[in-house]
Amino acid sequence: MTLLQAENLSIEFQTPDGVVKAVNDVSFSIGAGETVALVGESGSGKSQIALSVLGLLAGNARTSGTVTYQGKNLLEMQQNELNSIRAKEIAMIFQDPMTSLNPYMTIERQLNESLEQHEGLKGAAARKRVLEAMDAVRIPDAKNRLKAYPHEFSGGMRQRIVIAMALMCSPKLILADEPTTALDVTVQAQIMALLKEIQRESDMSVLLITHDLGVVAGACEKTLVLYAGRVMEQAGTLDLFETPSHPYTRGLLRAVPNIQDAVGDLRSIAGQPPNQMVPPPGCPFAPRCENRTEQCDRELPPLVGDIRHQRACWRPVEELV
Amino acid sequence: MLKYSLRRSLAVVPTLLSLIIICFFLMRLAPGGPFTSERPLPPAIMANVLERYGLDQPLHIQLWTYIKNIVFHFDFGPSFSQRDYTVNDLIAAGFPVTLTYGFWSAVFVLALGIPLGVVAALRQNSFWDYIMTGFAIFSQIFPNFVLAPLLVLLFTLALGWLPGGGWNGGHWSYIIMPAVALGTSYLANVARITRSSLLEILGAPYIRTARAKGLPERTILIRHALKPTLLPVISYMSPVFVYMITGSVFVDVFFSTGGIGQKFIDAAYTRDYSVILGLAILYSVLTFVLNLLVDLAYAAIDPKVRSGLK
Ligand SMILES: Nc1ncnc2c1ncn2[C@@H]1O[C@H](COP(=O)(O)OP(=O)(O)OP(=O)(O)O)[C@@H](O)[C@H]1O
Ligand SMILES: [Mg+2]
Repeated sequence: MTLLQAENLSIEFQTPDGVVKAVNDVSFSIGAGETVALVGESGSGKSQIALSVLGLLAGNARTSGTVTYQGKNLLEMQQNELNSIRAKEIAMIFQDPMTSLNPYMTIERQLNESLEQHEGLKGAAARKRVLEAMDAVRIPDAKNRLKAYPHEFSGGMRQRIVIAMALMCSPKLILADEPTTALDVTVQAQIMALLKEIQRESDMSVLLITHDLGVVAGACEKTLVLYAGRVMEQAGTLDLFETPSHPYTRGLLRAVPNIQDAVGDLRSIAGQPPNQMVPPPGCPFAPRCENRTEQCDRELPPLVGDIRHQRACWRPVEELV
Repeated sequence: MLKYSLRRSLAVVPTLLSLIIICFFLMRLAPGGPFTSERPLPPAIMANVLERYGLDQPLHIQLWTYIKNIVFHFDFGPSFSQRDYTVNDLIAAGFPVTLTYGFWSAVFVLALGIPLGVVAALRQNSFWDYIMTGFAIFSQIFPNFVLAPLLVLLFTLALGWLPGGGWNGGHWSYIIMPAVALGTSYLANVARITRSSLLEILGAPYIRTARAKGLPERTILIRHALKPTLLPVISYMSPVFVYMITGSVFVDVFFSTGGIGQKFIDAAYTRDYSVILGLAILYSVLTFVLNLLVDLAYAAIDPKVRSGLK
């Protein structure tokens, strides 16, 4: 059953220098209990997609398309209706745990305020739930750390606090924006395992945002590869890893050090993402693509293929000899 | 926090001592003395007067006596120019006056400036935002020495609502105009600082986190944004507080409040060593106390500062 469905989602920002087209025509769906990965380089629009779902985009943003949740378009929802969904139905784990916690409030207060807001829970009952959430994300000595402030925690612990915060009201969907980027590799693995475990227990859906395909491998059913705000390829994760169709996806996979399939040399993709103010007419990846033809520079490739594996490319990998 | 305050207070003692010594010598370095006048006094009388005030003693003895009296008797000595008055008497008469209207002026500045700044930030380019901008410009064009006469012109001479000067034991009608004249330019600054501070805070990632929890905007403003918004306001107000409760010389003189600023001017004209020294010490102590309070306020808001104080 589909929980969240984005159709032709586009996001642009009005800036003094012109309009930045950060996200273009992105469609995807997340089923109940499913984990979907959103992968792409820095600046490809991943965070903005997540923010748009909760109506948290900056003031200069304009959206078009629809994001449907329980039959309603979140993009056009009134503020107070949206507020009743935020944290309670859909919660977000923010990208940077160093700045997304309020430095002037105790951890307990920051954790219990969504309980108070959505469930009217206060006092001992609220504290019990806060401690449960802190235990769930393995924050040691939780009881004695309730009155601590964010600066008294390490980066890894803050990341756990941010995750606990998103879990407080047992939401149906979590938008996890790079929940592990701020951490070193061992802690990364712990946190991912933790998320997976919590998800299994509560049948929660997750939109996992990352630029690291290594993280995606074990954790997600479906993967969307984003480039310059467009979907380049989307497929079941296994399928995508085994038979990447888009040169960009293949490039990404080659840049992953610890994946069996990507044997051979570790390579990064040369070049920079395009200017999103005046995007080139053709495929946004063309300037960096090894296989590009004249058509690639001229025409934007549509997203085509079997619904289980789609790609936007004029010369997909499998058609090359 | 108490330990910190005590430590800070102890640290101020050597500072105060050096201040007393420096002021003491500076004052005597200036040519003339409290008893020099156009028509010189006969030498015998002069000697008498000097003896009475201990000015015939060597300087280091004078200094020692002065410090001893302050430390052991809290006695700042007699006034040299106003017979029968001690420095303690003059401060006791003038300080409560400036403290009173200075306090109300600070209340006026904060109670109006902060909400004005908040509203201007929340409703950018609205009526209230323009009011604030207009007010800021107004206070630049009309500094207190222009504003005060205008206030008197309007409220005393034209409307007859408020007395144009005097103190009358601190009746409220005598406090309003000095407090407003003293505070207006600070009010504009406080509003401006609050506005830009709040705008910056509202763009912070942790405010977005609060929004993601589904909290209403008002809760976010009060619970999440207000404290950090006030930090720069507190920094700004720290020297202003001292200035306000020690009184503006201009406001004291213009409204004849009998406040301490007036006494300072009188003392400077008559080279009243003991009064000037006493007031200088009072100012320093007040500066110290208010700075300490401001630091404590900072610590109360910012846990990082608080853990630094331990
Ligand atoms: N308020 C804004 N005004 C103008 N442009 C913006 C604004 N917010 C985001 N953008 C632009 O939108 C684009 C996508 O940003 P986004 O934060 O979604 O990237 P991302 O994929 O999450 O990258 P990262 O991996 O670095 O987090 C960027 O080019 C960014 O410059
Ligand atoms: Mg991001």
